[in-house]
Amino acid sequence: MRIVPYAARPGLVTSYLRQLRQRSLTLSDNLFAYVLNLPALVVVLALIAYPIGYSFWLSLHRYNLKRPDLYRFVGIENYREILTDRVFLNSLKVSVIFSLLSVSLILVLSLTFALLLNETFLGRGVMRSLVLLPWAIPGVVNGMMWSWIFNAKIGALNGLLYSLGLIDAYRQWLSSPTSALLAAVFAHVWNMVPFSVIILLAGLASIPGELYDAARVDRCGVFQRFMHVTLPWLMHPLLIVLILQTMNAFRTFDTIYVLTGGGPGEATNVIALQTVRTVLDFTDFGQGNAYAYVIMLITLIISIVYVRLLYKRGSFET
Amino acid sequence: MGERYTRLPKSEPLMLQTSRRQFLKLGLAGLGIMTVPLLAACQGKGEQPAPASPAASAQTPAASGAEVVTVRFEGWNYEPALVEQNLKRFMELNPDIKVEYTPIEGSQYRQKIVAEFTAGTQPDALYVRDDYFAGWVTAGYLQDIEGMPGLDEAYGRIYDFNAAAMTYEGKRYGLPYYADIVAFAYNAELLEKAGIKEPPKSLEELEEQGKKLKSAGLVQYPIAFGFKLTNDFWYDWWGLIYASGARLFNDKMEPIMHTENTVARDVLAWIERGMNETGIVDPASIELDGGKVRDAFLAGQYAYILFQRYEMARANNPEQSQIAGKVKMALVPSLDGENKGTVGWTRMYCLSKTTQVKDAAYRLIYYLGGLDESGVPYTAKWWFMQRGLGFAYKELAQDSEIRAKLQTFVDPDIYSRQAENARARENVQEPWYSEWESENQKLMQQALTRQISVDDVMKGMAENAERFKKQYGA
Amino acid sequence: MTARVQTWHERVSWKSIALYACSFVVACYLLAPFLWLVLTSFMTEAEARSVPPHWIPERPTASNYAAFVNPSPELRMVGSRAIEETPRALLNSAVVSLSTALVNLFIATFAAYSFARLNFRGGRLLLMAYLASRMVPGIAIIIPFYILMRKLQLLDTYLALILSYSTFTLPFTIWMLKDYFRTIPRDLEDAARVDRCGWFGMMWRVFLPISAPGLIAAAVFAFMFSWNEFLFALFLTSTIQSKTIPIVVANFATDLDVQFTFMAAAGVLAVIPPLALALVFQRLIVQGLAAGSVKG
Repeated sequence: MRIVPYAARPGLVTSYLRQLRQRSLTLSDNLFAYVLNLPALVVVLALIAYPIGYSFWLSLHRYNLKRPDLYRFVGIENYREILTDRVFLNSLKVSVIFSLLSVSLILVLSLTFALLLNETFLGRGVMRSLVLLPWAIPGVVNGMMWSWIFNAKIGALNGLLYSLGLIDAYRQWLSSPTSALLAAVFAHVWNMVPFSVIILLAGLASIPGELYDAARVDRCGVFQRFMHVTLPWLMHPLLIVLILQTMNAFRTFDTIYVLTGGGPGEATNVIALQTVRTVLDFTDFGQGNAYAYVIMLITLIISIVYVRLLYKRGSFET
Repeated sequence: MGERYTRLPKSEPLMLQTSRRQFLKLGLAGLGIMTVPLLAACQGKGEQPAPASPAASAQTPAASGAEVVTVRFEGWNYEPALVEQNLKRFMELNPDIKVEYTPIEGSQYRQKIVAEFTAGTQPDALYVRDDYFAGWVTAGYLQDIEGMPGLDEAYGRIYDFNAAAMTYEGKRYGLPYYADIVAFAYNAELLEKAGIKEPPKSLEELEEQGKKLKSAGLVQYPIAFGFKLTNDFWYDWWGLIYASGARLFNDKMEPIMHTENTVARDVLAWIERGMNETGIVDPASIELDGGKVRDAFLAGQYAYILFQRYEMARANNPEQSQIAGKVKMALVPSLDGENKGTVGWTRMYCLSKTTQVKDAAYRLIYYLGGLDESGVPYTAKWWFMQRGLGFAYKELAQDSEIRAKLQTFVDPDIYSRQAENARARENVQEPWYSEWESENQKLMQQALTRQISVDDVMKGMAENAERFKKQYGA
Repeated sequence: MTARVQTWHERVSWKSIALYACSFVVACYLLAPFLWLVLTSFMTEAEARSVPPHWIPERPTASNYAAFVNPSPELRMVGSRAIEETPRALLNSAVVSLSTALVNLFIATFAAYSFARLNFRGGRLLLMAYLASRMVPGIAIIIPFYILMRKLQLLDTYLALILSYSTFTLPFTIWMLKDYFRTIPRDLEDAARVDRCGWFGMMWRVFLPISAPGLIAAAVFAFMFSWNEFLFALFLTSTIQSKTIPIVVANFATDLDVQFTFMAAAGVLAVIPPLALALVFQRLIVQGLAAGSVKG
């Protein structure tokens, strides 16, 4: 027997709600649902919808916080400027490359890890806990940790490769555009893989065991079982991973901010970093908002494509 | 009725082995714990001063009954322990003023201070670099100190060069912290070991000597630059191009570095080659800031360096340097072998426009950058004696203690000779200077890592200048 | 000889050897970087800078951690007073994260219940709207958000952070709880109704206690998001009144004069709370995620 804590006496609102529910089921269901959603709606409208609108309005202005005297309406001037701006276009390119690389790496790694952790072996429980470790690490700490591992003078990576005899002198990993970008991708992937592993593990757990038995009866090999049973069942979770990680890669900021600061030059200057620089460093709120809007449009397009993919698979349940 | 409700729901997507009952307990306990901090949060909020008026909360009555005024003071983190020591003395002399000092990371100083002014949490008094002095005046961050006591007297004793750097549109805003130039220095012991008699006069000589040092196995890289992205300027870069007589702008402040004056371009090309081909310049320069380069030089890892002239004091101080006594200063090498100058700068103390404690804050910056009761620029002299920081006060050049100290770390002749032809950056008084500098640093990093050509850098510099001029144009 | 090899083969198959070998590699990948951070935090600065690196501290020291409790006057200055500010920043982070978790539970429970139990007009659209709001990148609304907070004079307060984090975590927690609530049998509610409980009574006495695992998982998510968040904290905080731990850690990381060992110690301190939560609630988190995203 468990004693359920007795609630406070239902107040006026409660009795009103109960009356509503009793009066007419369909009407009250509708109304009741919206009443329940009211707090969430207020928050989302006030703190997301309003800023989005306001952001657009500001993006049509010349608005440098350091020169409030120059504030004025300029129409689409800011957009025209950034779409021809070398720095902005470069950061867009960097973001796209960064996203492609890290998302594909995450997909491969997390699928491998999930398949491994789905096997039964001694210590699987420990491994399943261990896989959460990188996920719990804040992006800032992650960036700091990797910046030090990649350090040109005293870094652990140099030390390791050198003592293994793989390099004959310490390398400047963060000084070359390519290796700096790869370092950023690597650090980001390390941080993000666990989340995907969990989702895929859950997906794997939902595959009925009988399917594998049936496949075995049909004398299917490991590879065939993977192709014909595992993969089709994993399509949905994989798509989820794809969506979440694309969004993550596109908005990533903290790890790179600490790891490379966008350098060398602009080799790792992802779009989020460039926006923050425009806003915080140059205090150019007009152009900063135009940046933000372009980013939003891009993510919107990506989301629509993905959501359509989900719908097509008929597995998008609300 | 209890047991009905504790039944497990059917679907268990993953390994949920612990009993539901345990979860319930955990959950309730968790909720209980969570409510405590929320209460704490409410209290915490109550304690905060209103962000708009940071100074208002600062005034607390002292035990003696007199009002003690708190001055919030911020600066970049050069020798913060020494600063605090000096501030302690100030507070002893001025018991009615309490200074709250926060040192801020130098490579992000501009960004952080701008963020504070934007948020309304700016200090009362602060360090300002000539780099962004004009920008901050036009942004309305700083207030002029015209008519404040002792100002004329102080300005009457400093070099015109420094006075001009602290004046904007005829109004005076600052008192000098220090003023200095970029110096070229070398590790005489290493040069001797390689059989090199004289320090290099031209970049060509520098390259030859560097190859000798390398092949003798004395250093891995003869020289490094502090080419990490920073809010400070790349002084070693500026020193090198001004040594070769570069001009980036004409008298109408139109960029000419990509057209008629190719000096900066040629110097950059030399550095780029040194980094990627000849191995004269440490390729890690891009990850190093000036401080790290200096530390490595003082540990004997490089043979040459371009640094702030005051670092000569540290370089030859056995407590701070492993190569003390072996560091010599020379004129900065140039493209054609004839030194045409170097870059000089002024750092100052200013008051924020919104300070509620103007008088106390002014007394603080006058203590730091002005004269004491006996008419001596106390702190300026103290900084020289402590760390060799250059001074804006003319009279200190004749000070016997200072002259004696100077001889301990540098040849006084070369020390003053290099200063004679030092120049301020041509566009440092433009409100857009520091943002332009930041963009240039990115461009140059790109060229040094061979993503773009040196010509692209010069074109980019010119474009950026035009763009910023337009942005800040009235 | 041959017989022995065969028994060995029988007991340890190649498959399990491969499994353990893979597990070892994966474990190294996951663990090594962080372990390096932890080890460094117990080194002296000289040892941390040695070339080639010392993998195990020769003389482990806890002095880097002790400095956070009682910093010497010089250390207090380091990294824009980062060492001095670390304890307070940890407190700030805890307050903000816990409050966000609570706000989330409160608001998301109502909304999630409506999606789980009520078949209402526009419900699907509303759910899509929540999902869409999750797609909006933080960077895209940070400026107007900042201006809004400035107008409301909320810059540099806990409230600004709690509001923004709640906004970002709500869509996810609603989604997660909705799926969890659906796993709870309807007859429990009906039974409670027979017992003449009102809706609130039913929720409080029956529904929520049974949903505790889902609620905890949602709360843990909100907490971890808030604990780790950097971008909004960078804009919205400016003094130690509200600076959260990622901001202070970033001060460490970008300050060129800070010793690596302090940085490492600060990093470890910042990781402990989310890591502890992740490990303690491992099963719930996994389950919550599974319910929220994978179940078709």
